[in-house]
Amino acid sequence: MARILSRRAFLFTGAALGGTALVAGVAGTGYLATVDMDGPDGFVDGNRAVLNAFLAIQEDGRVVIQVPRTEMGQGIHTGMAMLVAEELDIPFDDRISVEHPTGLLPVYTNYALSLRTRPEDARGPLLWAGQRALGLVPLIVTGGSSSTYGLWFPMRSAGAAARHMLLAAGAARLGVPVAELTTSDGLVRHAATGRAIAYGALARDAARLPPPRNPALRPVSAWRVIGTPQRRVDIPDKIRGKPVFGIDVVLPDMLHAAIRQAPVFGGTVAGVANMAEIRRAPGVVDVAVIDGKSLAVVASSWWQAETAAQGLRIDWAATEAAHVSSASLGVALRGALDAGGAHVHLQQGDLSASFALGQERVVSATYEVPFVTHACMETMNATVLIRQDGSAEAWSSTQSPMTLRWGVNRGAGWAGVEPTSVIGHVTMNGGAFGRRNEFDAVAQAAFLAARHRGRPVKLLWSREQDMTHGTYRSHAAARLRAALGPDGLPVAYDAMVAAQSLQNSAMGRSLPFAPSPHGDRLTAEGLDKSYYAIPSRRVRSQHVPSHLPIGFWRANGYSFNTFFSESFIDECALAAGQDPVAYRRRLLRDSPRHLAVLERVAVLAGWGSLLPPGRGRGVALEESFLSIVAQVAEVTVADDGEVTLDRVLCVADVGIVVNPDSVAAQMEGSIVFGATAALMNAITIESGAVAETNFHDFPVQRLANAPEVIVELIRSELPPGGAGEPGTPPVAPAIANAIANATGRRLRRLPLAITETIGERRTRSVLAKEPS
Amino acid sequence: MISLTVNDTAVRVSAPPDKPLLWVLREDLGLLGPKYGCGVAQCGACRVLIDGVSTPSCVTPLAEVEGASVVTVEGLSGVEGALSAVQQAWLEEQVPQCGFCQPGFLVAVTALLDRNPNPSDAEINEAITNICRCGTYPRIRRAIHRAAAARVQG
Ligand code: FES
Ligand code: FES
Repeated sequence: MARILSRRAFLFTGAALGGTALVAGVAGTGYLATVDMDGPDGFVDGNRAVLNAFLAIQEDGRVVIQVPRTEMGQGIHTGMAMLVAEELDIPFDDRISVEHPTGLLPVYTNYALSLRTRPEDARGPLLWAGQRALGLVPLIVTGGSSSTYGLWFPMRSAGAAARHMLLAAGAARLGVPVAELTTSDGLVRHAATGRAIAYGALARDAARLPPPRNPALRPVSAWRVIGTPQRRVDIPDKIRGKPVFGIDVVLPDMLHAAIRQAPVFGGTVAGVANMAEIRRAPGVVDVAVIDGKSLAVVASSWWQAETAAQGLRIDWAATEAAHVSSASLGVALRGALDAGGAHVHLQQGDLSASFALGQERVVSATYEVPFVTHACMETMNATVLIRQDGSAEAWSSTQSPMTLRWGVNRGAGWAGVEPTSVIGHVTMNGGAFGRRNEFDAVAQAAFLAARHRGRPVKLLWSREQDMTHGTYRSHAAARLRAALGPDGLPVAYDAMVAAQSLQNSAMGRSLPFAPSPHGDRLTAEGLDKSYYAIPSRRVRSQHVPSHLPIGFWRANGYSFNTFFSESFIDECALAAGQDPVAYRRRLLRDSPRHLAVLERVAVLAGWGSLLPPGRGRGVALEESFLSIVAQVAEVTVADDGEVTLDRVLCVADVGIVVNPDSVAAQMEGSIVFGATAALMNAITIESGAVAETNFHDFPVQRLANAPEVIVELIRSELPPGGAGEPGTPPVAPAIANAIANATGRRLRRLPLAITETIGERRTRSVLAKEPS
Repeated sequence: MISLTVNDTAVRVSAPPDKPLLWVLREDLGLLGPKYGCGVAQCGACRVLIDGVSTPSCVTPLAEVEGASVVTVEGLSGVEGALSAVQQAWLEEQVPQCGFCQPGFLVAVTALLDRNPNPSDAEINEAITNICRCGTYPRIRRAIHRAAAARVQG
């Protein structure tokens, strides 16, 4: 679709992005300042009147909303459509549809995530420069639980601007002043004469009008849609098996590819013993080495390609990493806790003095977690077409359309082809959890497409390839120390974590990237406990590189650091002989918002009421991604050590809630995901390669293991925070604390239990015997 | 040529007899509802009804379904696309997140309720072993009970 960029286009990059001072002369001080790098002018495309980068209105009155974030199950398409509907003053019903835009407009850039600020709060020349730079890429990505808080202002502004333009078009049509007009139910109304015109009939005129600079947004008191539970727009298709995931892309004349990647990361193909035989296998049209590191079989169906790939006898060149095992990695990890040269992330107060004073009551503990993987239900895949003229098109279930462009360029480059253009199509995602920020599969598909110009190639990884070639959540170890004062509360808190740097690993794969000398904040997030009143504290990290690729994984550093820190706070409470909720209540004396969340979850859980023998409760709290979540886990531990997670009670303050049902669903999903990692998950390394291959040896929770979950959301008028990730961090410590409560045993290592198979596809979690 | 019935339509397929039904459905018959998730009968994303029995189609060779009646998620709804009781319950409870696993769950639950119209939680745990990485299990359990109640009311 043609997109004409123009100076007239409104949108947010300028002032919304902090450029107020710089563009004020041109655009006034409104948020919707005009700068020349942004979105399209309004235009008419067939029966669609495109009013701005985020919405179009059809002649029949249907509203098509462009949501430049990936729907991966979090309900973002629905939430964003609700924001537009609110301001456009239309009912939230099936007259609304949502598309993921194919145009990569700067205005779709995820500034909120990259610059760590809400668009409406961004001010100052530095942020403005950052936004311009990111807009040039443009960095469009779904992650960091940022979609709602990043688009909260832009989407509403887009709806309000469009409504303003429709009113102006209505005024011209009816020959009355705008002030005499109102809107409701998709109509512009003139009360005095009883006349009304449908949006659909005005949209073409409206698209030609200049957008307003600073359209007023509805006050909270006038909201009809925001904060009400709305049915998700993507669910009707999802219960009929209709949505198109990456794996479902079908194109004329398409080839299918299966792959075998070097089992040891960084390994290369030395040779194939039976190449000729595989080339002759049924349906096979090509067998190719990709970038020296993997072998792909291209065939007329995926089943044929995969069957042939299973027969490949590949000789992998040995690498140094072939000696690496989980045991050796663990030794290096734990050793780093005692090595010098740590990155200091935070230092407050006089730590050593406090430790000297409080010496009698020093609590110290060491914790550890393994590597884990995402195991998205949809395995990695991508479809790429490179035409004879060099133009390229790519389809994938990705968290970022940028990965399509980068991946196609990278992969085609391996074949010596330079695409002249790349159009990317973001499909539905069958789970993402951070894994789909990568372009590994896109690049591989592009390489194959470059060998088969004019024919689309769909590459699908088998589950075994997906499990053994993840971008893993790093393993991590931590040592925490606290000196407790006379009242039992910490006067000093000292946390040191060792892990492989996510930033260094992930960024290094996609961009020219120099590691920060100040360390990776993603390694240390979740340790500072800033909301707890502790006079002196220090947070440090050590980077421990390995040959494994590390990637974004739901809640990143919080996924281990909150396990460490919230387990540790429980240990401090117990050392002080205090109740874990009462202890945290005292620590939260200066953090009323956090305290309210804690108090509410304690009430919801009936904290303090007696439990039968063998049962236990544990609490944990974390602030992450601009939201606060507290959880109470209830477990039963049987005499034989079987541990059952009975219930998780969850209270979340995510600021203003757009769609309560979606936020509740994200908490439920985060809890299952977090509990699975806490009780069951570990990726182990043997001879440099990942040992787990499929769901039989990487067990996950199923219906029978999943806890009952009760979610309550705090009413708030503060701007929205994230919802997709903040529910994950508290789960593991809440469970560990509950097990300690039930058994008196403090478990400091994930996974907390051993998974035993019972019958077909059924498992139970059993605590390891105490070392004698 | 192997003949079978898929979603009430008689079809003849000229794929190799050892080709798994999942890939026959997806590649030869263009039915993309059944999903590939593991290929080894672990995850249930590929489940279809074979003569009414919920079966992982990824490990079922085409030859085995000669003459059988296969129903995929696309075939669960009734005349003019009316949602089945199970689908309706899924809608009411807003079950799916990413949705990738849901075709397999909808099929497995349909088979369960055909066999056992009012399953207990223990029976549900026994029968429904599919995987959902998005963690929709709490809603799935609620939706199963809702669908069971709706089917009883008719
Ligand atoms: S794909 Fe058949 S059970 Fe997983
Ligand atoms: S809804 Fe995503 S895997 Fe189940």
